[in-house]
Parts: sequence; structure tokens; C-alpha cells
Amino acid sequence: MQRRTLLTAATFAAALAGTGLAAHAADVVKIPCVCEMSGAGAVSGTNYHDGAMLAVKEINAAGGILGRQIVMDTYDTQTDPQVSRALVQKAIDSGAYAIMGTVYSGSTIVNMMVAQRAGVPQFTGSEAPNITERNNPYIFRTSSGAQKGVPALTAYFKDQLHVTKIAVEWVNNDFGKGGHDVFRKEMKRVGIDVVADVPSEQGQVDFSSDVSKIKQSGAQAVFVYLNEEEDARFLKEAKKQGLKAPLVGEVTLTGQKVIDLAGGAAEGAFAHVGLATSAPVPSIEAFVAKFRKAYGRDTDHNGIKGYIGVYAIKYATEMIGKFDRKALASKMHGLTLDVKKYPGMLLTTSWDKTGELSRESFMTEVKNGKQVVIGTVPAN
Amino acid sequence: MRRPGKPVLLGLGLVALALAPVGQTDYILYILSSWLVFAIAAVGLNLTLGYAGQISLAQASFMGIGAYTVALLTLAGVPWLVAMPAGVLLCFLVGLALGFPALRVQGHFLAFVTLAFNTLFFLVARNEDWLTGGPYGLSGMPRPDFWLFNTDPNLPFYYFTLIVFVISSALMWGIVRSPWGRAFKALRENPIRAESLGLDTRRITLLAFAIGSAYAGLAGAMFSPLVQYIEPGSFSFVQSLRVLLMVVVGGSGFFFGPVLGAAVVILLPEFLRFTEGYYLMIYATMVILLMVFCPSGLIGLGQRLRDRFRPGRELRGDMKQGAQL
Repeated sequence: MQRRTLLTAATFAAALAGTGLAAHAADVVKIPCVCEMSGAGAVSGTNYHDGAMLAVKEINAAGGILGRQIVMDTYDTQTDPQVSRALVQKAIDSGAYAIMGTVYSGSTIVNMMVAQRAGVPQFTGSEAPNITERNNPYIFRTSSGAQKGVPALTAYFKDQLHVTKIAVEWVNNDFGKGGHDVFRKEMKRVGIDVVADVPSEQGQVDFSSDVSKIKQSGAQAVFVYLNEEEDARFLKEAKKQGLKAPLVGEVTLTGQKVIDLAGGAAEGAFAHVGLATSAPVPSIEAFVAKFRKAYGRDTDHNGIKGYIGVYAIKYATEMIGKFDRKALASKMHGLTLDVKKYPGMLLTTSWDKTGELSRESFMTEVKNGKQVVIGTVPAN
Repeated sequence: MRRPGKPVLLGLGLVALALAPVGQTDYILYILSSWLVFAIAAVGLNLTLGYAGQISLAQASFMGIGAYTVALLTLAGVPWLVAMPAGVLLCFLVGLALGFPALRVQGHFLAFVTLAFNTLFFLVARNEDWLTGGPYGLSGMPRPDFWLFNTDPNLPFYYFTLIVFVISSALMWGIVRSPWGRAFKALRENPIRAESLGLDTRRITLLAFAIGSAYAGLAGAMFSPLVQYIEPGSFSFVQSLRVLLMVVVGGSGFFFGPVLGAAVVILLPEFLRFTEGYYLMIYATMVILLMVFCPSGLIGLGQRLRDRFRPGRELRGDMKQGAQL
């Protein structure tokens, strides 16, 4: 019995020894996309990937970056942080100039250490605050972190809704906790009393006790910080129990997927979004149309993130005039790409010293089953 | 059962493992290291499940206890060589405690007790921020530095993992061949008869749990410096199922079964990646087919094939059905 096992083990080892490094061609530049093509993050990851791929096709058709064609290989992380770490390593081994992904914060926080060690710039779609708090000079966001997005709502709660008592419903994972902690700090700063603080599970189905807790607390508004499917379930339950307080979210609450899942229950929900596919901005409208033409479906904000990430790599590389990973990373710090000169960015975008991103953002509301932009928040 | 070729083959296997990383990329080294780490956890579960017949769905939580202990200690500056035994010992003690319900409940009920324990661990790891870092987890654990042998680069770390794997497997080999090992098997096959023969089934059950858990703790102690980031999700119930799959696919109750099973679960999907969008489907189909046609796992399949071509060498009559779950 052991013989079989050992033979199999030996075969495995021999097969492993056979796999080698692919030859690195000089006339292409490799920008692999490591993202969530399966598992819980498949919706976000696929949109991010497809948006990035769209940018790659456009750039290649227009002559590539400094005359080189972009090659984008796809690496599926299965939404598993451990796998994503291995794959970022694989992408680096294959000679990546820069890496696109990952979208889920729990994965990015693991795999960004690998890219940092290898000195490869990485453009993530993640929004957890801690990603840019680790002094990693190679990580760059493609949308603002929660520590930028949530404070944009503070003024809305204080000056527009005039609330003094507020409730927060959040998902207890690294994404939700990041937003929750920023929110508590902000509310303390402006003196709004958090009367109900309700954590929920990822994948939670029943929100009845959560909603009744919030209802009993007498909160005048509710901050909802959940993933898309949970958002929809929460909205339905809130409607069922007749929760009257305005429901305000960050990024996800007014997304098209939430509206579809929640049916009429999403009507009237507010959210601050860094990137809105419904924004009445010609560049974004053109992007949404292009995306629909290429893939036959609509994208969420993750598609825009992937798209502008690839363009940011192109513009910054052309500024430094060579393919130098370190120079690219240092160029990105403190860089502002004006949309008038760099149309691929869709909106004027800046990065600070930590890789955090800043640009104009939007307040949205669900009206007649559609996300509608009701105001813009200037870049901070 | 002893054949002269066996030590030679064992030696060849070790040489293959030692040579496997030569000229490989960091990615392959990382995958191979994580295979060996999970193999240690699966070898431990194989003792509890395959040899002693006690089902446990808490193996990932013990990996978590080991990983968090080592992470917290090494981050505080304690050397790995001190932190690792602390983690393993803690797992041994907690495993001993978890073994007590196993004295009263069996089969599916025991599975649920251990499942509840795994969930409990997950909740504690996530909610006790002050200790475990909550959902953010812990990161930046240093890899061990043994004076002349610094395991920080991936190649030395692979050899470090290999050494730990070989030592722990050799220990397990000793355990299953000791009187304890025979007692474990007796417990699995017929607890009442085992007791009537004078075996202290209570002690044996507890030991099976404790030793199996200690192996998971060791795997966790390796996992911390390998990934250098741990968070509660890495040790959730799903991960326990993954370790269970390794044991069952490889061949529960066979010594090398879990090692092979871990290879299937960790390495096979990576090999199938060239099929792109289909690789997870192909992988899942292969596992289903294997379980339908050969419930005793890959090693059981190998034995059946051998018996067909070279009949008359009945070795393990007890393993025809695989270890009963």
C-alpha cells in the first residue's frame, strides 16, 4: 500500500519539476488580473476583471503602452485569501509589470504583502481602511477607502437630515468592521448619538430582530453597511416592519443588484457612492454603453474600478517613459490625473502618499427602481 | 507484510520531495509548502477518524488555536521553537477536553458537537478583538530564523516545512504501530469488544482526540509563518470540511492516505488551472466519481486495482469499506 502512495508522490514531484517559467517576450507588458472569478466575490471580481479587460483591449488597439501590447492573464482566487496569496506570487513569477486586483479586502490584505516584497505595483478594488494604513508603497486603490467614503456622509446626517440619534447595521467581517469603526468615530466627532449598534453575519438571512432592535432604539436614521445580498434582505425586512427612519448606505445600498433583489423595498434608500454607473457624467455614460456592448450586460462600480486601474498604469508609465516598477510606484504617489487630459480616468483622480485615492463622489437615491444621482460630493 | 523494497521506495519518495522545489518558482514553492502543512493536519485527523473512528469536524479550529498562539507569541518576540510547543500543548489540552463529549455521543452527534466547537472558536476569534485582532486578523508574523538557517525566503521555508512534516509523520508512524495504535483500531472496529479485552476505551478515545488535535496545532504553528496573515475565516467550519475531505479522498485509515488526499485537495486544482473556467467543475466531478466508486479513497482504489491484477494478497481485510464515518 505504501508503494502506491510513494509512486504517486514521486510522480507528482516529477510533474512539478517539469513546469517551468514561460519565456518573457520583450514586445509585450504583462499586467495580470488576480481576482474573484468564483466564490462569494464572483460578482464583484468578474465586473472588475471585465472592466480591466475592456481597457486593455482599447489600449492595445490604440498601440499599447509605449509601443508594447498589454497581456492580461486571469487568475481566479476563488475568493479565498490563501489562494489569492499564491496566485499573486504566481503572477509575479510570470513577470508581471503591475497587478490588477484583488477586490475583496480579506484577500488584498494577505496578498499585498507578496507584491510589496517583490516590488510590484498593485491596483486593488478593495475599500477596507486598513489596506492603505500599512505603509505599503506598492498598493494603490481604484476607489476611495471607507475612511474617506463614510465621512462624506457625516455632513449629510448632520446638516441635511438633522439627526441626533442614529443606528448602524453592519456586517461583521473586515469590510464591515472597517466601515463601522470609521462611522463610530465620525459620529462621536460631530456629537450624534449612536443608539443602536447591530452587527450581522455575512450571508445572514433573517434580519427581523436586527430591524426591531433599531426600531425600538428610536433612531432617526439608519446607516446600513452590508454587502449587496444582505442589503436587499435588510431593506425588505425594514419595509415589512414599517421602519420609517431614512436608510442611508455607503456604496452598496443603492446598487442595481440590491434594487433588483429587494424589489420595491429599496425605494427611497440613500447611499454615498464613490463611483456610480448612473452618474450623469458623459464619460461614465459612454463607459457604461461600451461595457454593455462588449459583454451584453450592465456592470456595477467594480467595472469602472478595473477600467480606470489599467488606464492609470498606462498614463503613469508613459509619464516616466519606461517600464520601471519602482518608478511607477513613486510616480503614482501624489499624482493627479485630470480627466480632460487623460480621458481613460473617467473622472479626475488623485492618489496620496499611501496609495489612497480621492475624486468626486456622488449621493444617490433609489427612485422608481433606479439609482439616481441626487448630488455630488467634491473630492477630499 | 514487510517487503525489502519498502524502505527503498520510502527513501525515493523523500528524495523526490527534497528535489521537488529545485528550479521552481516561488508560487510552486508556496503551494508545495501549504500542501505539507495541510498534510500534517490531515495526518492528525486520520488518527482521530481513520484509526480511532471518532469523527471530528473541528480540525480547522485546532489549526486556528495553534496558529493564533504562535502568531501572538512570535509577534511578541518569542522564538518559534518556544511558541510552537506552546501551541501544540494547548491544542493537546483543548483536544483532551473536547474528547469528553466523545465519550457520551457517537457518529453524527459527535460530528455536531465538534462542529459547534469549530463555530465557537470562529466566533471567539472574530469577536475578541483585543486578543485576536477580530475580523482584521493578525499579520506580519516573522518566519523562524535558526541562526545559520533563515527560513524567510520561500526555498528554505519549504525545507523547514518538509523537515517538520517528516519528523511528525515518523512520530505518527510510531504511534500507530505502538500498542496505542492497535488500541485505536480496536476502538474503531468494535468498542465493546475492545473494552471486554481490558482496554480503557475512555482513555484511548480522549488520547485519539488530543493527539489528532495536537497535530492540527502543529499545522497551525506552520501555517502562521507560511501565510504571515491569519484571520478567523481561515479556520472556519468550511476549512474543517476541507481537511476531512483530504482524509476521506486519500483513504481514511491508511497511513499515507491523508498525505495523498492533501495533494489532491491542494495541488490538483492548481494543476487543473490550464482548463480555466472549468477547473473547479472538473475537480468537483473527479472527487464525486472517486467517492462513488471507491469510498475507501485513492489508496483503497490502488489496492483494489492491485488485487485485481495480482490476487491473493489480502492485507487489510478490515479496510474493505474504508474506515466507517
